[in-house]
Amino acid sequence: MIQSINRRNFLKISGLGGTGLLLGFSLEAGGGQTPHSVFEPNAFLRIGSDDSILIMAKNPEIGQGVKTALPMLLAEELEVKWEQITIRQADYDRRLGDQFAGGSTAIKTNWENLRKAGATAKAMLIQAAAAHWGISTTACRAEAGRIFNSSNKESLSYGQLAAAAAELEVPQEVNLKARKDFSLIGTPRPNVDTRKIATGEPVFGLDAKPKGMLTATIAKSPVFGGKLKSFDAASALQIPGVEAVVEIEAANNPVLRIAGVAVVAKNTWAAIKGKKALKVEWEPGDGASESTGSLQQTMREKNAAAGTMELRNDGDIEQAFTEADHILEAVYEMPFWYHATMEPMSYIADVQEDRVECWGSTQVPGAVSFYASQITGVPREQVIVHQTRVGGGFGRRLLADYAQEAIYLSHKIKKPVQVLWTREDDLQHDYYRPMGQYRLRGALNDRGEVTAWHIRAATTSRYLFRNDDSPHYQTEVFPDGFPAAFIPNFKMEYTAIATRVSTGAWRAPGHNATCFVDQSFLDELCLAAGKDPIAFRLELLGEGDQEMPYDDHGGPTYSTGRLKNVIRKVGELSDWENDLPAGRFRGVAAHFMFGAYVAEVVEISLLESGAPKVERVFAVVDCGIVVNPLGAKAQIEGGIVDGLSATLYGGIDIENGRTVQSNFHDYPMLRFGESPEIIIALVESDAHPEGLGEISLPPVGAALCNAYFRASGTRVRSLPLLRKGMS
Amino acid sequence: MPTFSLNINQKTFTVEVEPDTPLLWVLRDELDLKGTKFGCGMAQCGACTIHLDGSPARACVLPVSAIGDAAVTTIEGLAPEGELHPVQEAWIAEDVPQCGYCQAGQIMSAAALLDKNPRPTATEIEVAMHGNICRCGTYPRIKKAIQGLL
Repeated sequence: MIQSINRRNFLKISGLGGTGLLLGFSLEAGGGQTPHSVFEPNAFLRIGSDDSILIMAKNPEIGQGVKTALPMLLAEELEVKWEQITIRQADYDRRLGDQFAGGSTAIKTNWENLRKAGATAKAMLIQAAAAHWGISTTACRAEAGRIFNSSNKESLSYGQLAAAAAELEVPQEVNLKARKDFSLIGTPRPNVDTRKIATGEPVFGLDAKPKGMLTATIAKSPVFGGKLKSFDAASALQIPGVEAVVEIEAANNPVLRIAGVAVVAKNTWAAIKGKKALKVEWEPGDGASESTGSLQQTMREKNAAAGTMELRNDGDIEQAFTEADHILEAVYEMPFWYHATMEPMSYIADVQEDRVECWGSTQVPGAVSFYASQITGVPREQVIVHQTRVGGGFGRRLLADYAQEAIYLSHKIKKPVQVLWTREDDLQHDYYRPMGQYRLRGALNDRGEVTAWHIRAATTSRYLFRNDDSPHYQTEVFPDGFPAAFIPNFKMEYTAIATRVSTGAWRAPGHNATCFVDQSFLDELCLAAGKDPIAFRLELLGEGDQEMPYDDHGGPTYSTGRLKNVIRKVGELSDWENDLPAGRFRGVAAHFMFGAYVAEVVEISLLESGAPKVERVFAVVDCGIVVNPLGAKAQIEGGIVDGLSATLYGGIDIENGRTVQSNFHDYPMLRFGESPEIIIALVESDAHPEGLGEISLPPVGAALCNAYFRASGTRVRSLPLLRKGMS
Repeated sequence: MPTFSLNINQKTFTVEVEPDTPLLWVLRDELDLKGTKFGCGMAQCGACTIHLDGSPARACVLPVSAIGDAAVTTIEGLAPEGELHPVQEAWIAEDVPQCGYCQAGQIMSAAALLDKNPRPTATEIEVAMHGNICRCGTYPRIKKAIQGLL
């Protein structure tokens, strides 16, 4: 395969301004000595004359494994052994392209460019070797960090060739390897940071500590949308170690930065105590009248009439219900979910007159760089954003409000400041998964076929909340998602609900609700039709392999063949054809999302309390070519546990405009003993790699509740299951 | 401000802090031992698990004034420098961590259990690991790592 190279992506390092950008590049290899010469064909790679090979991990590592998987792409084409390379987390560096963790996009959007980066370097090393030996490049071969002369047994290491290669022009076109020739992609590679994590090295955002750093905690309005009325700093300033009390002004949008009063101290404990001692009065505003009940009531009222947006209307829905043999109606409800990253929000900024340096956990280092420049007036070329390892993202750190706070404070007090949110701050001022209500009607004919599906959804749209131009239904409902287009009469309506309660993206945004709703209601129809849940889904998807339009992230189309394949395969994996032992029950669900396909079977028993005990989960995933199967399975396992936790326990309640829960004692998470056995099969595929980090989460809730119905006779239509869903 | 003499990872440290300062912040802020993590501040998540005379304890609710002569072990001191505790080795072998933030606490809980009880039952493992939350969902691999050591 010949790929053309965009030369702008491969600027040589010497051509760049801003020395700060090079900070991350000092090589550790060679006893800390800088090698005599360096071959740096692009910003992703640096080969030293001492044979050191440094690959920059460009994207934020939030636990999804990209610090391991992305360098694999480059190393594959470079022809080096995995053990030969050093991987370094890159700073924010515009030469690296998008540095972003979201939408399960890292592998699929870097699949070409990182392989090209490796192949380009390899081509230049071959060219240097061919010139050295006075032979044709076709007589040279790259393997394990050396170029071999095919006509004899001579070879030169990449380090020996680095100086000569650095003098060459970057080629316009390079060959990429065929999949059959891959030796690294597709092999299991452990997380490259595991030893550091297991020995407690300071790799996370909260662990960074520039010289002279102060720590700040921030008091905020307990009522969402509240404004600062007044504060008295005196009692906070009496706490030993507290240095300053600083007002933080809100930005013009609550997703950017909300109002607060910061207590800045010499150490964390003084900052925590100082915040408790601080006296602040807030103007609660109109948010104070909101509660879970009032939002549910608003949604009920909106869903009683036609939605404000009609997103799909196939066939004649009313006629179909008139002619139906059997009609089912149901109302499903989804609560606000808290992100609960184990590392609470924190960020460090050191704002100087002509330079800003930042450290911390974020999914959007580019946005941090932008905000740093905006707040301080320092040009972006002089803003350094160090990417630390991130103690969990799940969508929360797509917003950089807490980083803005650190930049704002450091700018104001002219000292390096770390902002730390306590767990209570993190839980009560999160940007929750939107709350929603879904009113469904379904019709069956006398052959048990679904003839009509009508869904009205009302959710606290995150795009409405942030006053975005994006249509409010996006990432809330999916007009092209299955079972749309497979039911002849199909109507989808949507109404965005305004609230002061802050909402944002939460792992598998929207899909984490719609898959639960659709795959649960489908199960209700299946039971009414008296059919087998797997056969029912396969029948609905029809014969053959159809390419279905899908106008959303992961589109523009999806394949019914691949969706049916994962459903069939999860049946085989879970031994669906055979009965379970007494006391065991199971349910199934399947989904297409972000370009990938998943089907899951959840097997449960019942505890004496009547609550479900999840025994085993089977998952089949087709995400195209798998780069690192060990990491891929970790993501699938993690998404399943995460989804079970949220389904069983996840739910934020609002009373008088404020969050009721405050910490893990009243916002429980799944514990070790509740974690099931998980059995995973990855579909062998030649298809382009697609998003994997979120896909295993959406179906697990529906599969669990479908199993729970068979065990208990209770249909769970309101989450979380263990708090209010059992009625 | 009072001073406290602490035995941490078999070394003696003297710190000058307020008596109610939780050990967590003494470790992190005063001694730059960043391996012990802040998760919840109320002993609900286990991210700050350390050993106090060999037993697991949550450093986020342990005032420095209450420690006295007790021997504190943190993740940094779980094994002699340059070596690994068998639990750390098992964590690496099973590729347990995803984000990794909770794992120091998970390892400290597992190590405290296995150091005292090398052949725990499934229930004993469950009880010992119950206090440590992992949002990434690494429990299946934690289970494998522990079982592999039995």
